[in-house]
Amino acid sequence: MTAGAAVFAVSCVTNRTEARALQRERQLNQFLAEVERRALRIAEIGVRDRDEALDLVQDAMIKLARNYAGKDPAEWTPLFYRILQNGVRDWHRRQAVRNRVMVWFGKTRNDDNDYDVVQAAPDPAGRTPDENLQNDEAMQGLEDAVRELPTRQREAFMLRTFEGLDVAGTAVAMGCSEGSVKTHYSRAVHSLRESLGEHWQ
Amino acid sequence: MSTSDEKLEQSAKRLFDESVDGLDAATLSRLNRGRQAALEASGGGRSRWLLWAPATGVAAAAVVAAVMLQVPNTNVIDAAPADLDIILAEESIEMLEELEFYAWLDTVDLDANDIG
Repeated sequence: MTAGAAVFAVSCVTNRTEARALQRERQLNQFLAEVERRALRIAEIGVRDRDEALDLVQDAMIKLARNYAGKDPAEWTPLFYRILQNGVRDWHRRQAVRNRVMVWFGKTRNDDNDYDVVQAAPDPAGRTPDENLQNDEAMQGLEDAVRELPTRQREAFMLRTFEGLDVAGTAVAMGCSEGSVKTHYSRAVHSLRESLGEHWQ
Repeated sequence: MSTSDEKLEQSAKRLFDESVDGLDAATLSRLNRGRQAALEASGGGRSRWLLWAPATGVAAAAVVAAVMLQVPNTNVIDAAPADLDIILAEESIEMLEELEFYAWLDTVDLDANDIG
């Protein structure tokens, strides 16, 4: 055994550790690339502002990468959405405080004036303007109806329907039991069916 | 779950997916930048750790070398044969017995050299 052999052994361990870290980084990049666009739209429906939603998604990605990159990749999706939902809830709390302060100073913030539906509308290729308009209106109607839901019902519906999480994953993301997820989701679908009414039957 | 519920879910999912597919390039670019920032946050910790890896390796090797040097050398094969001859030679013992004579002789030789 010589000092050179010791250096070689340490070098081998270092290389293996670096290779594992690089592989995990590639997995994380792939996961975030797959989830980021749906996450943005879910956050955007939650806060009605694309810039704010982009900030929330980026914060969620950074927190996941910093704190949970070492977890099993199968756990990343519910963890990511739990972080994002917490961010959306915190955002609403801050907005409530801000609005109270604005009311105190005699000012109010009208979100409808800040949100340009036409500019934010999708522009996919291969559809006529009429089809796009119909889809935009239908999506806008759906977003409005989803926003009217109570917070927990809205979260359950978006995670189950939009993101496609199963009941167990949704329970992790929402931080509640699977039974609660089923209840919130069932009530959300019932409320949406009533509010959307004739457009969706 | 009723048929109308399933129809609502399917329609909602289809509309949502279309809105996701229709995100504009500027938004996708911002998402990409956000993702890179997240990966940097994750990879930054790894890079900082790896910066210490060479130093850690050198330090570990130095410790191993120091420990090896501290272990007493019990290999008698490397002992010099000349030393054994001196120890075992009979005349050497006699020399030690007459050490005072040789010390005096050495002093005399020095004086002689000084005179000469």
